[in-house]
Amino acid sequence: MKNIQRISIILTSTIILTACSKDFLEVDPQGQLTEVQALSDPDAAEKLVGGVYQTLYFGGFGNTTVGFLMVMATDVASDDGDKGSTPADFAPAGEIDNFTVNSNNFILNNLWNGHYAAIARANRAIEILEQSSFSDVIKNRLLGEVRFLRGLYYFNMVRLFGGVPKLIRVPDPSEGNSDEFQTRATREEIYQVIIDDLSFASQNLPLKGATPVGRATKGAAQSYLAKVYLYQKNYQQAFDLTNEVINSGLYSLVNNYAFIFRENAVNGMGGINNSESVFEVQTGINVGENAVSPLFSNGQGARGRGGWNDLGFGFNTPTTDLVNAYEAGDTRRDATVIFINPTLPANSPGTVLWDGFRIPSQDSVENQRYSYKPYHSALRESPQVSNNKDTKPKNIRLMRYAEVLLINAEAAANLGNPIATTRLNDVRTRANLAPSTGTIENIWKERRVELAMEQDRFFDLVRQGRAGTVLRAHGKSFADNKNEVFPIPQVQIDLSGGRLTQNPGY
Amino acid sequence: MKRISTFITSAFLLLSLFTTAVFAQETITVKGKVTDASSGESLIGVTIVVKGSNQGVNSDVQGNFSISAPSNSTLVFSYLGYTTNEVPVNNRTSLNVQLESSSEVLEQVVVVGYGTQRKSDVTGSVSRVSGAEIAKEPVLAATQAIQGKVAGVQIISSGAPNTLPTVRVRGTGTALAGANPLYVVDGVITDDIRNINSNDIVSMDILKDASATAIYGMRAANGVLLITTKKGKSGKTVLEYNGTVGFKEASNLVNMAGANQYAGYVNEASVFYGSGDELISPQLLENGGNTDWYDAILKTGLQQNHNLSLSGGSENITYFFSAGLLTDEGIIQTNEFDRITLRSNNEFNVNDKLKFSTLASYSRFKVREVDLNAFNLAYRAAPYVPSKIGDLYGNTSLSNNVGNPLLNLEKNNDQSIGNRVQGTFALDYKPIPWLALRSSFGIDVDFFKNTSYSFRFANTGENNIFLTSGGNQLRNNSGLGVTNNNSSRWVWDNTATASKIFGKHNFSLLVGTTAEQIRFGSLTGNRVGVPEDEDQWFLGAGSTIGASNNSSGDLSTRNSYLTRLNYSFAAKYLLTATFRADGTSRFPSDNRWGYFPSVGLGWNIVNEEFMRDNTFFTALKLRGSYGEVGNDQIPTSIYLPLATINQSYIFNGTEFLGISFDQLPDRNIQWETTKEFDLGLDFGFLENRLTGEVDYYNKKTEDALIPIVIPAILGDANNQFITNAASFSNRGVELALNWDTSAGDNWTYSVGINGAYNKNEITGLNGGQALFDGGVGTQGPVTKSDNDQPIGSFFILETNGIFQNAAEIAASAQPDARPGDLRYVDLNGDGAINANDRGFFGSYQPKLTYGVNGSVTFKAFDLSVSTYGTAGGKIYNGKKAARVDSRDNLETVVAQNRWTPNNPNSSVPRANLNPLPASTYFLEKGDFFRINNLTLGYAVPSKFLTRYKFQNVRAFVTAQNLATITGYSGFTPEITSGSPLNGGIETGIYPTTRTLAFGINVGF
Repeated sequence: MKNIQRISIILTSTIILTACSKDFLEVDPQGQLTEVQALSDPDAAEKLVGGVYQTLYFGGFGNTTVGFLMVMATDVASDDGDKGSTPADFAPAGEIDNFTVNSNNFILNNLWNGHYAAIARANRAIEILEQSSFSDVIKNRLLGEVRFLRGLYYFNMVRLFGGVPKLIRVPDPSEGNSDEFQTRATREEIYQVIIDDLSFASQNLPLKGATPVGRATKGAAQSYLAKVYLYQKNYQQAFDLTNEVINSGLYSLVNNYAFIFRENAVNGMGGINNSESVFEVQTGINVGENAVSPLFSNGQGARGRGGWNDLGFGFNTPTTDLVNAYEAGDTRRDATVIFINPTLPANSPGTVLWDGFRIPSQDSVENQRYSYKPYHSALRESPQVSNNKDTKPKNIRLMRYAEVLLINAEAAANLGNPIATTRLNDVRTRANLAPSTGTIENIWKERRVELAMEQDRFFDLVRQGRAGTVLRAHGKSFADNKNEVFPIPQVQIDLSGGRLTQNPGY
Repeated sequence: MKRISTFITSAFLLLSLFTTAVFAQETITVKGKVTDASSGESLIGVTIVVKGSNQGVNSDVQGNFSISAPSNSTLVFSYLGYTTNEVPVNNRTSLNVQLESSSEVLEQVVVVGYGTQRKSDVTGSVSRVSGAEIAKEPVLAATQAIQGKVAGVQIISSGAPNTLPTVRVRGTGTALAGANPLYVVDGVITDDIRNINSNDIVSMDILKDASATAIYGMRAANGVLLITTKKGKSGKTVLEYNGTVGFKEASNLVNMAGANQYAGYVNEASVFYGSGDELISPQLLENGGNTDWYDAILKTGLQQNHNLSLSGGSENITYFFSAGLLTDEGIIQTNEFDRITLRSNNEFNVNDKLKFSTLASYSRFKVREVDLNAFNLAYRAAPYVPSKIGDLYGNTSLSNNVGNPLLNLEKNNDQSIGNRVQGTFALDYKPIPWLALRSSFGIDVDFFKNTSYSFRFANTGENNIFLTSGGNQLRNNSGLGVTNNNSSRWVWDNTATASKIFGKHNFSLLVGTTAEQIRFGSLTGNRVGVPEDEDQWFLGAGSTIGASNNSSGDLSTRNSYLTRLNYSFAAKYLLTATFRADGTSRFPSDNRWGYFPSVGLGWNIVNEEFMRDNTFFTALKLRGSYGEVGNDQIPTSIYLPLATINQSYIFNGTEFLGISFDQLPDRNIQWETTKEFDLGLDFGFLENRLTGEVDYYNKKTEDALIPIVIPAILGDANNQFITNAASFSNRGVELALNWDTSAGDNWTYSVGINGAYNKNEITGLNGGQALFDGGVGTQGPVTKSDNDQPIGSFFILETNGIFQNAAEIAASAQPDARPGDLRYVDLNGDGAINANDRGFFGSYQPKLTYGVNGSVTFKAFDLSVSTYGTAGGKIYNGKKAARVDSRDNLETVVAQNRWTPNNPNSSVPRANLNPLPASTYFLEKGDFFRINNLTLGYAVPSKFLTRYKFQNVRAFVTAQNLATITGYSGFTPEITSGSPLNGGIETGIYPTTRTLAFGINVGF
């Protein structure tokens, strides 16, 4: 019996020893930040805002906000750019170019995905910011930055697709499938979101110079808000807002148009974040070379036929129509277009770019023209550690002062204010052109050449209400009351259980 | 949890009280040992009862027993397969008994996890392969040597040194989680057994059905392989040496077109079907060579295996020491591998109740790996380019935009060193004869270091290393990557086993708890500009510009409670019931405990009264079982919303690191559950010369991980939500037969055959998304895992011959085709051939796996053969399918047999420069039959040995992977790479190797 007791004691104690406390099984992930840990960091809100800025890099062939695929949906869709590359290459971009696009086009789905992923990050950051213990000034600045970006993204979405689902907060998992989120809001509701966001931003963001370079500024928010009002034909608001930007005295045109798109200033002119820059995607060389919008530069780079170390994929090639749109002597033409020299005469010199880089003549190059603005010089600009052409650090100029002037001019012209001519001629003079009159027609023409290949033209034509006329004249099969917006991706309609409705005609 | 421990404790107390009655009798204690009369080996689990009473015990793992009995009584020793022996006690307290065997095979003892069992008492499906069988094959991993020996266990071997073969027990039951089985080495649970020297192994026991594996609970769904290592035996010291030295070469190569054949094909394609230009000019051929790129990168490698062991012991201490060296140069240039293993297994009997044992092993390997892409490059490289002349390489990037494969091997040096210590320290205590307590602590510590250096080379200028300059293969900067990984795990098992016999009732109850911790850490660094001298390959020697480093880790814990009841009545009716409760840190706290029950029933028909007069059957047992087990091989903490850190953006020209939450995790993620039913029959007849077993099983996996696509608006980065939804099934039949006999005084022979049929099916994605996988070149994914199909089924176009003329084309859905093109089946009948015409054409998983093994001894000679084969699986010839550049090389058979107007009956399409779409043209049968091992040995007669004090000397020649019969046209029908979703696609595979070796065994 004594034996038995002893055994029982041994057994019991053994079992208790290994019946470890509950804590033994509580193990947090190692080297990974859980939600709870991340949000207990006092800088969490600011880091989340950084994460929202990072969505500006969504690009490549993947989920995209303002990157390479957006170039397809804007320049390539317009009369500025052809798809480029070889005829068979990248058929989905060809469908956009020709307006044979259908709802299974992956470019559109990746733009949809990219924008909503970015909007989700923004909503998350806003939710956390509102609970944060930052001072009101900091909190409102950070909120302003996030809402600026969210406004920008909804502005893209409404122009790409029309009314889209409205998400301005993080849905609870249980509400994710509700009609509120799974159906389309109207175009007007989305525009209201954009105006609310950009208005908040313009009221709470610091002026250029009062905040680190790269962060959204009051001027940027005002300029975009003005652009939105222009789309809404609210000319007075557009005029007033651009006037504020102009009168802030913080912006001026770069004398030499070509220098705007360089990385380094030339004789104090141009370079990244130059005097004309209102908002641009910041890039840089970091260790991972991931502080860039992938493929933005080399996706539009000159494409070889073998025999030389080419620049890229050769998409978005400037059209003959665009080249012809420049008046004689317009300095912007050669700053916008890389012309490939024909093979003959023998020993053709090829094309030498500003940095001395030589593109061979036509026999070794796929297309006749390439876009100059996205060019990044491997010789003269930030050297990459890797030779990965996909990650060339090219800042994307999203809003320039020249556009602010042209918005102001167009608003003024619509309001019958003669300052339209002054603004227009500010832009023309810089391009070495003779003054002209600030009529709507002249301003539209100027917008095209000033902002060519800068992801504006297609939306601009639709806004002006003449997309059908212009693009059909250009030889595209544009259908009125259909092709003004792209089809809602079919996969998203399916995932909504059919609650997302397709755009007319698709 | 507290409830369970309380329950177990009370169960013990109850049991203890119940048995006090037995002790009340006045008796003497008889102790002793039961051994096999012929071999002298201890017999485990012999039933010993006092005649005329219902009082009895079982012998323990050393054959020892201790029983209380009246001094004038008689003890009855009975053991299935042995003649029952009755021994009068006659006042003796010490009694050693020998039992004569009546049959041999079924009376194995098998390791069943936390204990052993007589095979005849087992109700689940358990197979055993002896260490001698395993050590016979000169291969690295023990699992390779069981290929073809166990029904229902598919082993996919690789020829690459330092590779663990892929093991699938009864099919594949998961899509996204790990599909590998659980390995248990002397109680230490592990996922890698490359550190185990085959010569140290006593046996490998394979637990196949859920009733056998359920004792391992949440990790058992893919089967359990238990390895037991050798121990010393009391008595004479034995010193043994075993060694082999041999050569290794590729067992099968694909013939690539030579320079002229290549040029003929490419130019025909270009001139007649392409641009009209001749792509390969006569000058290129004239100035070039005729390279067989596989010749250039392959070699015949040396393989050696030397093992020395020393074992023995006294009454209280036994020891086993071993040392092993294995070197394997592989068959690709620059490949090298060696491994040293040391083992020390000791047991100390402190007194007759207490035993302490230490089983410890150390292994160290050093390997220089090769980039298997060299195999793809060699397939593609143009044959007119020389591989290397002097120090200069042929410039293949100029010919067809492909890297020179030999350069790839020689200009990279990827080497690793691993040091691993694994061991078990255990205390066994038998306070009273019917109770065994055991506490064992197992450790497994692994230090791994990888140094990967890439040399700098130029393609122009003075450092040009090419015969012709230019092209795009160059490396501007040397690079060095260093990785230090260390992992450690410990497991502490505490078990109690009570064994009692009451008359015809034989009980054994195991209860136990285990605790376990697994920790992993990794530190990596990368720098460029490190000097070429190998002694300088440290990060500090490189440039700080562009330097990077990282560290990461993982930690998980587990706490489990387990119990197993074995009950038999009159050795006729058997019951095994097990239960394991597994708690793990890897799952959410509300969802952390899994409960895994099983029950098995057996009926030993041969022991029935009505079989008493039967002389035909020596064994006949029907068994059936059901159990539930889990698979938790999914990433740690997959259920937690984790921040994506280091989201770079640039402010003021400097990097700002943001964070984001981009994944919507399923916060209720748990393990995958497999429910398995097994029905089996074990039999032996003709005086047990013929034995065998047949099993039917039905395995259903539920709650398997599957991604569900969610709308983009929810903001998940890849719009996927991984959750437990899918279900799979594996159903099959297994058969094993063994014939073992002596044919005369000088002859013995044995033959074993086994085979298994398995049907794998996705029974329900249950809202999950069909999974496309297996991307091949520009063809995109070639597999799709969908409802009612096997996992990883090929989903491609179907070909239907070759167009012969314009009329056929006009009548087809391919208006742009030309005579000589493949004709595809317009599956959806819409008049066009596109992705919507893809259909299912089988999967890589074989339906049938089988093996035939035999051995013959004649006087001093022994000959053994083992074979393995599979049928019913498909292989996608990815190398052939992924034509990357229009000037890539092609196989001789393609070049020779291509369709031309003069060769209209060919099944090979016309010369073509472009990649073809994924179709059945590239899909082949993966069936093969292989002679895995053939060994011929000669044992030197002892009369020649005694002078030199040798106990035995045996010399042998052995051929591993002697011959393979297969219709598959690629390098090997065994594809180890890939996940369950994309197996069976041949690209960049290390070819199967053949080894011929000479060896000797010497005993001193």
